[in-house]
Parts: sequence; C-alpha cells; structure tokens
Amino acid sequence: MTSALIPLPTVFCQADLYVLIANLRSISCLVLLSLVAAGCSSSVMMADPTIPAPNVEKIPIDVALRIPKEFNNFVHEENILGKEAWSIDLGRSNAIFFTQLFGYLFNNVTVIGPDDDARDFQFDALIEPSIDGFEFSVPNQSKTQTFAVWIRYRLRVYDREGTNAANWTMSAYGKSQKEGMNGGAALQRAALLAMRDAAALMIMQMDKATQVSALANGGLATPRADSAVADVDAKPAARRDDMGVFVIGGIDDDAD
Amino acid sequence: MMQTRTLAGAKSALILSIVSVGLTGCVTSRVEDARINTTGINAGESVVIMAKSYHQGNKTESDYVSCVEKALGRGSSGLRVIPNQQFVDSLFPWFEPRTAPAETKGLTKLMARPGIADVVEEMGVRYIVWLDGDTERVAQGGSLSCAVGPGGGGCFGFAWWQNDADYIASIWDLDGFESAGTITADISGTSFLPALVVPIPLIARTQTAACKDLAQQLRAFIVQ
Repeated sequence: MTSALIPLPTVFCQADLYVLIANLRSISCLVLLSLVAAGCSSSVMMADPTIPAPNVEKIPIDVALRIPKEFNNFVHEENILGKEAWSIDLGRSNAIFFTQLFGYLFNNVTVIGPDDDARDFQFDALIEPSIDGFEFSVPNQSKTQTFAVWIRYRLRVYDREGTNAANWTMSAYGKSQKEGMNGGAALQRAALLAMRDAAALMIMQMDKATQVSALANGGLATPRADSAVADVDAKPAARRDDMGVFVIGGIDDDAD
Repeated sequence: MMQTRTLAGAKSALILSIVSVGLTGCVTSRVEDARINTTGINAGESVVIMAKSYHQGNKTESDYVSCVEKALGRGSSGLRVIPNQQFVDSLFPWFEPRTAPAETKGLTKLMARPGIADVVEEMGVRYIVWLDGDTERVAQGGSLSCAVGPGGGGCFGFAWWQNDADYIASIWDLDGFESAGTITADISGTSFLPALVVPIPLIARTQTAACKDLAQQLRAFIVQ
C-alpha cells in the first residue's frame, strides 16, 4: 500500500521538470534571438558632454554663437556590410559643447538660434560652427578592441557687419577601448573624447587660426578675395582657402 | 534514472569548472629598469600614471592604466597616486592626447605657463609615469567544437593561445623636469582550453601579471 503511493509524487515531479525544461528552452531561445538581434543593430544615445574649465586666459572679445539646426538633432549611422549597423544620436550634445566651450574661451558669449537675425544682437564677431564630417569605426572594422570617432568641424567667423573673416576646419579624434559585451559606452566615450580633442585644438589655436581677437572693439575683417561681403544670415560660399590645423604632441611655440 | 544521471553530470561539470578556476596557464615575465637619475619621494608627494597619446599610435588600454594606478597605491608601502582623469581635467587642455608634452623639454615649457605649476604643486605631483605598449594575441592553435542537442550538450577538443604584454614606463621627475629612467615589462602567457564534454579553461592572466610586475618595479624604482 505504501509502496504504491510512493511513485505518485515522483511522476508529478518529473512532469513538472519536463515543463520546466521546455520553458527554459523557450526562454533561452528567446534570449539567444534577442541577443542576435541586438548584435545586428546597436544604437547609442550621447549623454550631455562636459568639458573642464581650461587653464587659459579668455580672448577679450564679445562673440555671438550661432547654433545651427543640425546641432540640436544629429544622428549618424554606420552600416558594416553583412555584419552590423550602428547609429549614434548626438542629440543636443554639440550645441551644449560649443556653448560651454565658448563660454570658457571668450569674454562674453550670446547664443543665437539658426533663424535669429544677427542684426538684433550686439557682438564683435559671429561664429557659426558646423559639422563637415562624422565617422566612427567599431572593433569589427578596426580588428582591435577599440571604438574610434572622427569629427570634422568647420568654424565660420564673421565680423559685426557680416563679412566673412575666417573659415577654419579642424579634425578631431577620440578612441576608447571596448568594455564588456556592449560597446555602446565605449562609442559614446570615443565621441566625447573627440569633442574634447576639438576643444583642446580650439583653445590652443582659435586666435592663431582665425585672428578673431582682431575683431574686438568694432574691428572689421578685410574682405577676402573669394568671399563677397555677405549678410550674416547668408551662407558663405568660400571654401577654397579653408584652413586646416592639426597639432599633435606638445605645445606650439606660437600658441600664445 | 535519466534525471539522476543528468544531475550527476551537472555536478561533475560544476566541480570541474570550480577546480579550473584555481588553475591558470603559463606566464613568463621579464621586467627591467634603466635608471638615468636618482629618485626618491617625500611625504605628501604623489605619482600620476598616464598613457602615451593615441594620436601617436599608442594602444595602451585604459584598464591597464587603472590597474597600475591601483597596484601602485595598494598596501602599506603604497605610493600616493593621483587618479589620471583628475590630473588631466585639472590641467585641461595641456595633457590631452593631442597636447600632452612628448618629451621633458616640452614639460619645462608647459610648467612656465601661468598657473600650471601652481596646479601641479597643489596636487603634490612629483612623478609622471608615461605608459606605452599593449597586450596582444600573438599565436593561437588547436580546435574545439561544441554541440547542443535535446538530451544535453558538450565540447570536445583542445585550444590554446598566447598573449604577449609589452609595456614601457617612462618616469618623469617634476623636480627638475628630467627623465628619471624607464622600466620595461615583457610578459608572455599561454592559455589552454582542453575539453572533454566540459571545457576546462586554464587562463594565463598576462595583462594582470604585467600590471602587478610593472607596478612592483615602479614602486621600487621611485622609492629606491
């Protein structure tokens, strides 16, 4: 009588175990599928960047910073053929970055929007940054455990009458090591390092490359042969004598 | 019956895995220093560990820098180490990958700039250690295959790989803005992965060994 009762709970437990195993298989299949799907496409949202206060003296000039539309919503996608797709959403990070950087760099900064009429504001120089190029590489491409980001910024400088005084392009680079399974944090850090690299270059070379301090106290730019005196709202066409500066490994003797 | 066998198998696999954690691969290490100047460190003075610029092709891993920082500061004889990021941020933009001095000549110029020497003095930084190099997989071989079926799974085969960690630490003494010397760490580690149903990883922690050995030598070099 007792022995007949014993198998009952055992059968019950085995049935339970089979259900459990079946469930676990389904769950692991789902997890695997989601991992594969996640591996095929990755999206990174850039956090607001912060740069430290630089150990330099400010350039004594009042500047208007025109934030272009693209700086409020910049998304870049990179498709690696047959492997994966990556996208990075920079959001407003460029707008925040330039506002903070120029605040450290110049005596007084007025931020104006893309549709604002510059004539409504008082300034010595108007600077309009833009992104000429944005690229990144992921470990699958570089065959290393690093993410790298390249940003090519362009700064157009105008005097208070709207004459194009300078057109400066610079290439910034950031690299970060992959940590953990997902490279999102490393890509984000590489982008931040590229921005920081651009900041370092601008802090060290801004005045040398653009002679922006010459526009202080009402100074005017000498009209350049290839750029007609333009309304500050107009996009200058001059691109032929773009000045690219790339300094690496120490202090330029003329940085002062 | 089948359930009992599965449980026994899982138990064996677990035991094997636990045992394998305690086993490691082979690591050979050679650490040498080349002294140029005398060193020493006083109370309140500190050390900063930096990676050489990636703009110049250096590939030193950020986790290696953190590891050396921690290892150098650990223990009763540990040195005072200023976190790399804190140092770089405090002196922004002069120690960014693009702008950091590549040689001691540039350091003299940098310290002459207004405010820079004050920030360095406030942090009590006496030595800057520049790390160059990386850990790379230089060889691998063997073959290992795994299969999973409705009744379970398992692996069979043997795989191995060799990692080489080559690092150079250049020590700059801010008391006189001179190079104090260099330390080279050349560590090679071979890992093995035999598998007979259950894979047993015998991992050689090459980078960790390179970190500990270099930090130990660095401490001895600075304290003298």
